[in-house]
Amino acid sequence: MKLEGEQLLSADPQTVWAALFDRDVLAEAIPGCESLEQLSETEFTAVVKLKIGPVSARFKGAVTLSDIVPGQSCTLSGKGSGGVAGFAKGAAQVTLAPEADGTRLCYDADIAVGGKLASLGNRLIGATAQKLTDAFFTNFSDALAQPEEAGPT
Amino acid sequence: MTLHIGQSQRRENARRHLAGRGRFVSDLALPRMLHAVFVRSPMAKGRLVEIDTSEAEQSPGVVRILTAAELNARCKPWVGTLDHFAGMQSPPMSILAEEEVLWTGQPVAMIIAKSRAEAEDAADLVMVDIEDSEPVTDGAAALQDGAPLANSGARDNLCYEALLETPAVNEAFADAAHVVEASFTFGRHTAVTLEPRAVIADFDPSSGALTVHHGTQTPYQFQDVYARHFGLPEGKVRVIAPDVGGSFGMKLHVYNEEMGAVAASMILERPVRYVADRLESFLSDIHARDHIVKGRMALDAEGKILAMDVDDLAPVGAVSAYPRTSAAEGNQVIRLMGAPYNMPDYRGRLQVAFQNKVQTSQYRAVGHPIACAVTEALVERAAEVTGLDPFEIRARNLIADDAYPHVSATGYQFEKLSHQASLAKLREMMDPDALRADQARLREQGIYRGFGIASFVEITNPGAAFYGVGGARISAQDGAVVRMTPSGDIHCAISVTEQGQGTETIIAQVVADQLGVSPERVSVTTGDTATTPSGGATWACRGAGIGGETALRAGRKLRERILTLAGALLQADPATLRLEDGAVVDVATGEARITLEEIGRVATYRPDTLPDGVDHSLTVAHHFAPSGYPFDFTNGIQGSLVEVDVETGIVRILKHWVVEDCGRIINPLLVDEQIRGGVVQGLGPAFFEECQYDADGQLTNGSLADYLVPMACEMPDIEIAHIETPTEDTILGAKGVGEAGTAAAGAAAMNAVNDALRPFGARLTQTPMTPLRILDALDAARKQRTDP
Repeated sequence: MKLEGEQLLSADPQTVWAALFDRDVLAEAIPGCESLEQLSETEFTAVVKLKIGPVSARFKGAVTLSDIVPGQSCTLSGKGSGGVAGFAKGAAQVTLAPEADGTRLCYDADIAVGGKLASLGNRLIGATAQKLTDAFFTNFSDALAQPEEAGPT
Repeated sequence: MTLHIGQSQRRENARRHLAGRGRFVSDLALPRMLHAVFVRSPMAKGRLVEIDTSEAEQSPGVVRILTAAELNARCKPWVGTLDHFAGMQSPPMSILAEEEVLWTGQPVAMIIAKSRAEAEDAADLVMVDIEDSEPVTDGAAALQDGAPLANSGARDNLCYEALLETPAVNEAFADAAHVVEASFTFGRHTAVTLEPRAVIADFDPSSGALTVHHGTQTPYQFQDVYARHFGLPEGKVRVIAPDVGGSFGMKLHVYNEEMGAVAASMILERPVRYVADRLESFLSDIHARDHIVKGRMALDAEGKILAMDVDDLAPVGAVSAYPRTSAAEGNQVIRLMGAPYNMPDYRGRLQVAFQNKVQTSQYRAVGHPIACAVTEALVERAAEVTGLDPFEIRARNLIADDAYPHVSATGYQFEKLSHQASLAKLREMMDPDALRADQARLREQGIYRGFGIASFVEITNPGAAFYGVGGARISAQDGAVVRMTPSGDIHCAISVTEQGQGTETIIAQVVADQLGVSPERVSVTTGDTATTPSGGATWACRGAGIGGETALRAGRKLRERILTLAGALLQADPATLRLEDGAVVDVATGEARITLEEIGRVATYRPDTLPDGVDHSLTVAHHFAPSGYPFDFTNGIQGSLVEVDVETGIVRILKHWVVEDCGRIINPLLVDEQIRGGVVQGLGPAFFEECQYDADGQLTNGSLADYLVPMACEMPDIEIAHIETPTEDTILGAKGVGEAGTAAAGAAAMNAVNDALRPFGARLTQTPMTPLRILDALDAARKQRTDP
């Protein structure tokens, strides 16, 4: 399943770029994210709780960033297993372009699901994936808009 | 005296089932029973890296989580090949995947818990790490050179191939005045039984006995399978199939889950229950059909069929089903082609391929709908090119009713069929002239109706020819024990089984007539290896023909016993006596001499009053194996009338006709029920039912929300007529009928749809004929017209 879209973010490309690699921002932005661990610069593991149609599951998965052109583009690939609910895997190419008052983020994703998600939730996956993507960017955008919280001193 | 054979009688169990008093495996609860749920591969192909059960083990109610190492060790792997399919290969299969997963839904771990719900919750917590690889999904691609293996245990992806050829087939095509050809695609579908697969395995370590309550058609086959694969003496294995909520062939195959329940019960020494939920049924019940067929037909200038040449590609999943194989359907497809017709020459080629999907195997009317649809679609094209009417071209080609015995070009032997009489009868019922007039009138109003017909033969009453000759331990004979109770009632325990079609009812009718009692006095027991004699049970339309004959002969044996006893009591020659209305009657005068009740009383309570040496045992056993023809073929013809909305592609099925000849009819009501149910299971995959997979081998419509089964409102009135040509191989003369409706319904419907679309030059050759496919065909025809 292909998913394409773009989002206008009110922050400059450098800030957006940094946020894409920021564990805290991502943890807040990913819908249903229960935990997110950064293993290295480019590798994360996550536990995400999702409901797609009648199937709800806790997905454990890994996300890797590759093809990195700093400040401009990268590829996010991930694979999550939801036990008996099945699995989801996919890759998204993300590109950033400066705009007058912010950054235009374009994504081009290819997602595949399997197991119960495919056999039962297939008709709902397109709509759900779009909804989850929208939620991610809304959260991401909100996180960017918030001033950096002061960490404990 | 009224004979009950030939009379309509309601199914004996219908009232009980309606009253909610059915007793299905899924209703049964045993003390200390545990519940099984399977963790399944979400991927079609891959390497099992790790199964993490640690979290699931802590889940409430979990008793044990079984993985391949423990479970598979209990059970000898099974191999789905048969010797008479020369060169066939299929890798061994075990309960759980070990290193490689082969289809989406293959079980990889088994959760045993105190309730199904708790087992399901725990299954959610099992983490399976599978390194996925590219699955083989397309049958044609699977057979290309260098294709990846669907199953690494196989030499290549070719499970089986066969070629049938008459010496002069090439000449027949070379000399033909006309050759018509087409390619067909028949979608995968599945059985969708009302009651899903269900099993309770109960191993008792104190006696070493295994009792399996199993919703199956073939208890004896499973007794043998469980004994051999779990290393138990056959006498210690009992299989009980109580009420079974539909089966249609789907419940006679060996499945990983049922074998898992038995293994788990032996490990845990407690009863283990597994009942598939509907989602699991879609993922794990056998699927049916899935054939891509290229067909050609050669005709002379008068429209006489000279030969057919067909090529069938049948992808069947990653292993062949056990113990009947997944090659049997393709084998029947190529053997049934052109079967109703005088067709001197033939070539049929079959390739059965492995792929990463759930296996396909025998389902109602194995192979028949494919062979019939291809043959009848080609006959329809032949009618077009020769300018003959559909009835006329069939009249010219169907085997004459007085030309039997007849051997088909594919080697099938027909004892006696009634194709021409069936065709004449159908013409009378359908009134094609009136239908044509209606069609022309309605077309002017933009309404597109069409009708189509399809002749068929059906294979019934198989002896050992199907499986026995290939080394399968599947009984070709059946057995009955008939006894008279002390009150003069009759009991029959018989090896054929009941799944809702009324087997027990017809057996009672047959036995009743042999013993001169009403069927209400005959009780029938089926489906328990401990209480019925051994036999093949119910499949391939053998219940009435073989089971009925077994019951008849057993009943007659008991009759002789009763008459001998009566003769001794009455001091009369038994030859002067017969049984009628529950009494022994004097043949000459018709006078009742002694009731069965009185004979029962004397034989049971006062045998001391009988003359010396008189055998007072009122229980007899009889086994019957069909001899003579290897199969009793039946025949018939079906007609379909449809209306196609050419704007939306939606089809209304307006009417369906069936003329059928199943030999002696034991119960007209149940025969018609069988035909109607069969027609619906033929029309379902013709229009609605399809298991859809994506390129990754994921089943994408595995629920009743997405998979369409026909409902009453989509189905037409089905008008049925009969011709009776009894087989002379048996006293009873009955042949099978269970698959007749399914055999030709789709073929007739496809011809009807194409007749409706004729003004547009559009043609369907793929099932199901969905609105989208109909619109695509219309679109293709439009493009062809505007841009030739």
